[in-house]
Amino acid sequence: MNLEQQLKLQAWVDGELPDGEARQMSDLAAADESARALVGELRIAKTILAGNEPEVKFPESPDFFWSKIRREIERAEKVPAEAPRVSWMHAWRRMLAPLSGVALVAFLTVVSLSLYQRGEIDDGMKYLVEVENLSEDVGSISYKSQSENMFVVYLYDKDQETEKETELEPMDDSIFQ
Amino acid sequence: MSHRLFFGRLPRLFLVSLLLAGSTAQTFAANLKLEAKLIWGTNDEKSPNPDHKEVDPATKEKLRKVFKWKNYFAVNRVTKPVPSRSSNRFELSKDCIIEIKELEGPKVEVKLIGKGKEVHKTTLTIDKGQSVVYSGDDKNQSAWFVIITELSEK
Repeated sequence: MNLEQQLKLQAWVDGELPDGEARQMSDLAAADESARALVGELRIAKTILAGNEPEVKFPESPDFFWSKIRREIERAEKVPAEAPRVSWMHAWRRMLAPLSGVALVAFLTVVSLSLYQRGEIDDGMKYLVEVENLSEDVGSISYKSQSENMFVVYLYDKDQETEKETELEPMDDSIFQ
Repeated sequence: MSHRLFFGRLPRLFLVSLLLAGSTAQTFAANLKLEAKLIWGTNDEKSPNPDHKEVDPATKEKLRKVFKWKNYFAVNRVTKPVPSRSSNRFELSKDCIIEIKELEGPKVEVKLIGKGKEVHKTTLTIDKGQSVVYSGDDKNQSAWFVIITELSEK
């Protein structure tokens, strides 16, 4: 007797087989000694289980049990969720963080704008040269030699310029001495 | 990035940016190292003063291209730093002093002081390789020059 036949015998004992197969199992149990013994054991086990299966009973009526669950759910929904306690330090940092971000962006914008504008101004002002005669007696001529990258200030004596308009003369008191 | 890291890092980033920007602004202030040379120009082959040395060929060639004199002799040379927003005096001879002040820009104010009197003032930007030259005629068809240049190393 193979495993399939054993399973079918169990199903037959439980009354789960169709008529055709039930007859086959009945014939098998009648003809085969081992099949008959197995059927006997299965019937004993079935009887024992059926007679000793524990029966669980609700201590209260099902309606009362489910109404308790519903009331508990409704109570839980009504209680507001308690907000977690936040320290003042954490709150301050939460406020400071976005402020710092905004300040940083603003600061970098101002700096980059000022650098940009400064560059533009510098380019324009770079070539501006201011010359000033601080002595009434001395005149000056200034020019730039582009080829030699040289800014020249030539000084001359004003008094001698008026005396000799055709030619500039050396200063009386040469600073070279 | 976690919340904690975000809130912890942003204020620190702000402070670092602040310091960085401060150092950037500081770069606009220039510490200059300048050289001032007093030179005598003449058509004579030699200077009557044996202490005068002929200038180097490059300077001589440069001056010859701008001025009419053939020979140029170095009388004195002074090298000094000019700290940012400060001034320094370059005493080239008993009667010739150059006062240089570093200004915002960065620009420099060059003041020529002759015999104790302020004679002339020029305010300009000195680029690398550029020279500022004060000049004037001297006796016997000669001339004096004060050449100011910024040195590379600071």
